[in-house]
Amino acid sequence: MQTHWKFSDILADPVIRTRWQRVKKYFFLRESTYDMTNRCNIRCEGCYFYEGDKQFVTENNDAELWRDLMVKEKERGITFVVLAGAEPALVPELLQTCYREIPLGAIASNGLKFIPETIGYRIHISVWGNDQTSQAVRRADRMLERQIKNYKADPRAVFVYTFTSGNIDQIRDVAPILAENNCPFTFNMFSAPVGYTGDLRHTPQTLAKTRDVMLEMLETYPEHLLFSHYNITAHTHELGLHDLFQCSYPRMNPHEDVGLGKTFRQYRADLTWDRNAACCVPDTDCTDCRHYAAGSAVVTARLFRHATDPDTFKAWLDYVDTYLAVWVMGYEKGENLSPHFVEPPGRT
Amino acid sequence: MGWSGLWSPGFNPQQTLKGPCGYVHRLSLKRENNQKMSNVKSIDDVIINVARIIIDELMIEDVTPQTFDPEMDLVDEVGIDSMDLATVALVIQDEYGIRIDEDDYPKLTNVRLIAEYINNKL
Repeated sequence: MQTHWKFSDILADPVIRTRWQRVKKYFFLRESTYDMTNRCNIRCEGCYFYEGDKQFVTENNDAELWRDLMVKEKERGITFVVLAGAEPALVPELLQTCYREIPLGAIASNGLKFIPETIGYRIHISVWGNDQTSQAVRRADRMLERQIKNYKADPRAVFVYTFTSGNIDQIRDVAPILAENNCPFTFNMFSAPVGYTGDLRHTPQTLAKTRDVMLEMLETYPEHLLFSHYNITAHTHELGLHDLFQCSYPRMNPHEDVGLGKTFRQYRADLTWDRNAACCVPDTDCTDCRHYAAGSAVVTARLFRHATDPDTFKAWLDYVDTYLAVWVMGYEKGENLSPHFVEPPGRT
Repeated sequence: MGWSGLWSPGFNPQQTLKGPCGYVHRLSLKRENNQKMSNVKSIDDVIINVARIIIDELMIEDVTPQTFDPEMDLVDEVGIDSMDLATVALVIQDEYGIRIDEDDYPKLTNVRLIAEYINNKL
């Protein structure tokens, strides 16, 4: 059995090579994130936006200033925008402005207010359990029904089910409804904001249970669930993403020479940004971060340490393939290449 | 003294280099006399080969290994990023049979630095 693999040996497998060449075309993506408004039409327990200072800034609603910002972002190499906090659907004119300048991106929305079709970004619709739980945690009635009504058959939409410690089994209620309505979905993990003391935080037991349920869902809904074995491993591991992969966002990464440490910014709704706070989910407790958005960058960036053998590299390719399908309009998820769990590699 | 191994009589200094993400960068070509330095030949070869790897892997157009400025900053001037650098590092590991620490490759931001790094490892 071969113990040391050259990269070229790994790529000699035509299946691996084909997938590598497919995902490699997207290495040009350079992301930054933007809080579009401080307002939201619901208030969820444990929402990262309403932690820290960012919620208190004076939001800027001047479309011309947003356009100027996007032009400058483009000039410094940003090719992908993530429009979030608090609820971006409340400011569609600003979303349109961003889309005109940088047409690749994703919007994080609760899905209760429809975003016009002319805004061609990926739309991530957050689901936090069944309707009973949504009522309790998000104080919103018939949430899933309303979300599906707005976004059924919308090619922009991906439903994002966030596993908390208290809603793990409820995916068995939610997934069949999403599948029946032909809604693609993926998984997120509740990652506690700094100082959070509520009940939603995961424990080693709930992480293990989530892992089992995710696997069950992957086997039951392969047509609708955008996920892989390696996604399950990376996001339900007892170690968080930073401890597993060393987070590459500026908040935890002092290197400013290249990559996210150089280009990533997280703009608040007043168009200011702070390198010390910059990551995709600011005010999240980094030791507890298993957020899907964080993983999309942090795991993907660790290409180097995954190119050690075919199994590990296939797992990484599955992760990147999933990330692209979830985040990039027009990218179709391929079949997963790794049908089993692979332990994340250490540093090279 | 500047690098002496990269002059190309037919090269147009106004020529542009198209990076992998569509950036267009101007090549600052070093035109110097083709002076021979006895101990430079081997690093000259490494530089040319590293430039070839970068051009091939990142599909950079309108430049050859011989006209690639080894001092040009790969991040700021060519527009490549950490994923591209990681890809280049993997191919270099293969070709030279060396091991590159993952903490090192982000610092290897131009062809000369990469070539010197390789030579130190050989």
